[in-house]
Amino acid sequence: MIQRFEDFHPAFTFFYYMGVILLLMMFQHPTILVIALLIILMIHFVEDRFQNLKRWSLLIILSGVLIILLNPVFNQRGRIVLFIIGDHYITLEAVLNGSVTALSIMAIISIFVSYNEVMTPNKLLFLFSKLLPQFAVLLMLTLRFIPLMRRRLEEISAVQYSKGIAVTDGNWRKKVKNGLLYIQVLVTYSLEEAIQTADSMNAREYGKGERTTYDHFRFKKIDAVAFLWVGFLLIYCVIGRLYGFGVLTIYPMMDPIPLTGMEWCLAIGMFIFIAFPLVVKGGGRLKWRILISKM
Amino acid sequence: MAYINFKNVTFSYPENPAMPALQDLSLQVEKGQFVVLCGHSGCGKSTLLRLLKQEIKPHGAILGDIQLEGQSLLVENSSSKGIGYVFQDPENQVVADEVLHELAFGLENVGLSTNEMRNRIAEMVNFMGAENLLHRKTHTLSGGQKQQLNLASVLLMQPNVLLLDEPTAQLDPVSAREFLDMIVRLNGEFGLTVIMAEHRLEEVLAVADKIVMMEKGQIRLEGRPKEILPKVWDSSEKPYVPTIPSFYLKVFDQGQEGCGVGASSEVPLTVKEGRSWLRERRDGSPVYGYESTESTQLISEHKLDKPELPPSEPIIEVKNLFFQYDARKPSEAILKGLSLNLHKGEFYTLLGGNGSGKSTLMKLICGVSKPQRGKVIINKRDLKRWGRQELAKMIGYLPQNPKLYFIQDTVGKELQDTLEQWGLATESGEKRTSDLLNSLGIPHLTNKHPYDLSGGEIQKVALACLLVRQPQILLLDEPTKGLDPVSKGQLADILLELQSQGLTIMMTSHDVEFAAKYADRCGMMFEGRITSESSPASFFKGNFFYTTMIQRLFRGYTEDVVTMEEAIRIWGAR
Repeated sequence: MIQRFEDFHPAFTFFYYMGVILLLMMFQHPTILVIALLIILMIHFVEDRFQNLKRWSLLIILSGVLIILLNPVFNQRGRIVLFIIGDHYITLEAVLNGSVTALSIMAIISIFVSYNEVMTPNKLLFLFSKLLPQFAVLLMLTLRFIPLMRRRLEEISAVQYSKGIAVTDGNWRKKVKNGLLYIQVLVTYSLEEAIQTADSMNAREYGKGERTTYDHFRFKKIDAVAFLWVGFLLIYCVIGRLYGFGVLTIYPMMDPIPLTGMEWCLAIGMFIFIAFPLVVKGGGRLKWRILISKM
Repeated sequence: MAYINFKNVTFSYPENPAMPALQDLSLQVEKGQFVVLCGHSGCGKSTLLRLLKQEIKPHGAILGDIQLEGQSLLVENSSSKGIGYVFQDPENQVVADEVLHELAFGLENVGLSTNEMRNRIAEMVNFMGAENLLHRKTHTLSGGQKQQLNLASVLLMQPNVLLLDEPTAQLDPVSAREFLDMIVRLNGEFGLTVIMAEHRLEEVLAVADKIVMMEKGQIRLEGRPKEILPKVWDSSEKPYVPTIPSFYLKVFDQGQEGCGVGASSEVPLTVKEGRSWLRERRDGSPVYGYESTESTQLISEHKLDKPELPPSEPIIEVKNLFFQYDARKPSEAILKGLSLNLHKGEFYTLLGGNGSGKSTLMKLICGVSKPQRGKVIINKRDLKRWGRQELAKMIGYLPQNPKLYFIQDTVGKELQDTLEQWGLATESGEKRTSDLLNSLGIPHLTNKHPYDLSGGEIQKVALACLLVRQPQILLLDEPTKGLDPVSKGQLADILLELQSQGLTIMMTSHDVEFAAKYADRCGMMFEGRITSESSPASFFKGNFFYTTMIQRLFRGYTEDVVTMEEAIRIWGAR
């Protein structure tokens, strides 16, 4: 079977995403961030042709543009003045500072969208249940209760509607009153039913002793390899960063913007790290082709 | 030494120390037995079951002793690990959002290793044939599947005793039968001791080793099904006797025996036994055998009994209705061009499988959902032109779950609220309300919280709240679900009384016997349409599966017998 990025062990997937976010926050350099953002967009494109990202595009673009625009408004520090509006100085430093923040925020939101798709509640639950078994049960119940409550509320409003009571009725006071009555019914009903859930949990020995968890995911060799590879890249990047590379110093004196040779070495390490899902996908395609050509 | 032994157990809840829930009760259950508990709701069945399971034991004062394999269950720290418990409501027992997680839940609690869990789950999934359900979200399962899941997750704990508290009360008959078959299999193939509280004796009679009839915390009758049924028949619990034995016993009562068949202890329990009894009778008696003339006579008699309604005004007209929940998925349409006519004063029952759209149709008729295409005409006016308040006054809708009906915290407040909403809080309005409560037999419930009532009571209370606003049409979604036979009879009386006052009643049901007995017309829903529709007699006549027990009993002898009353009459007319 061809390995997909989603099939890696949740611990690895979690590690990858946290690593990406860490790197995006550490390397505050416009060139690096632009390329990183492009790679993340590519991940989305390859995954689902931007289907998921589309829903978030407004938020991503809006927050990016706002930060770029607002930073120079409140920040007049810097030596290189681009232009003056009234008595307000717009400096290159301020614009660059804003862009760096904007880029890293946009990149982080984009990678989070992918995280949401890949780290299903199940995987998260699995990870947490290793650390905090009791919390995991709570999380599991919550996951079940949210859609349950929503369905119940729908039922309640249908029945009350048939009685001639609706939240859309009358002035706002009446609306609020009816709405609160709905919620009251929902809460009493749910509490009442939850007693039975608790009984059913008790009847299955819940809270009697040490809890174990069912391992839904097995840690395979390929997970270990991936961990080693990505871990190596992360350490490489972090050490480089600690030596002071890969960040654009803006204040008090701005560094030259182009990356030095050493910084390029570091940046490429980071790009390979972020591009891991693309590597997996590309590798999978290649393997598939080879398999097919052999047949 | 009995396996499970109740020795003179008296148990009372703290709220009501004067009225013990169990009173000096003694019961022995042998290993591997299949025991069925029955009786009205509130007779102590659940209390008895719960006392066996340490973890969910009710609080209260207990006298006497309960022993499992000679070990008392009442001492501190006694373990009831070998006891599994399945509850009534399929939905509320589920803890996890995915089937696999749910199955693993109990195993995780006892601290098994992943490997062992995987083995046990694999085995169970195989046994239940549920491979394709493993990764489904639990809320997408049907009620029957949920209950099977609950059973599976209890069985995974490898119990020796299985306790079930009305496990099929919330299921439709097909799922209920599947569930019971599974229990029977577990009992038969694995020797699991089963104690089950259950109203539907029909399905379990043939396999139960012991029936225990309870009343007011005491055991009224107890014994093997064939021995106990005649005794139940002679007691006030008559409605509990299923159709076929009760037909036999009724005939027996009328003293029309004498053809070589029968002491009351040979009461037939299944259709098979019933038919062989009928055959024996016929062979033994040359007089026996139905002439076609008698059949026709029977039909006319039936018509006299339930006169065909004069062709009155149609009150509900449904024309070419289309409905789907998801606009993007026309292939999943629920209703596909459904048409229906209901006349004033009619009692109409809609039958059909789960998810065939019965409930959806009701919601469309009372305006809660809007159809994509087609028309609903109430009283010659298009539904779209009815104001919501007007419509609510015209139609009373009782949802499948009557608990959701109540918005106030006592029955009295809910009634008062309804009166005020409709401007009926006058003296005459209140007088009418109290008359209504009296006629339903529920005036003592006004200070109670609706959730504290039993299934039958909450149904009556919700009906009362509906009737206060004097609707002309009643839409009832599965009103017979989960009711014990006595409450069911009371519901039928109420509905017939309302019908005689001129109300039009439409209900959905899985209960074939109920429909056959009380409805004027039955309709069958299939593929988003009503495929057949007629009076119960001709509706059930041709059906093979979807028909009453009596019709199955008489199939091949005479075709027109659908209800018990008809069967008795033709027996007498012979």
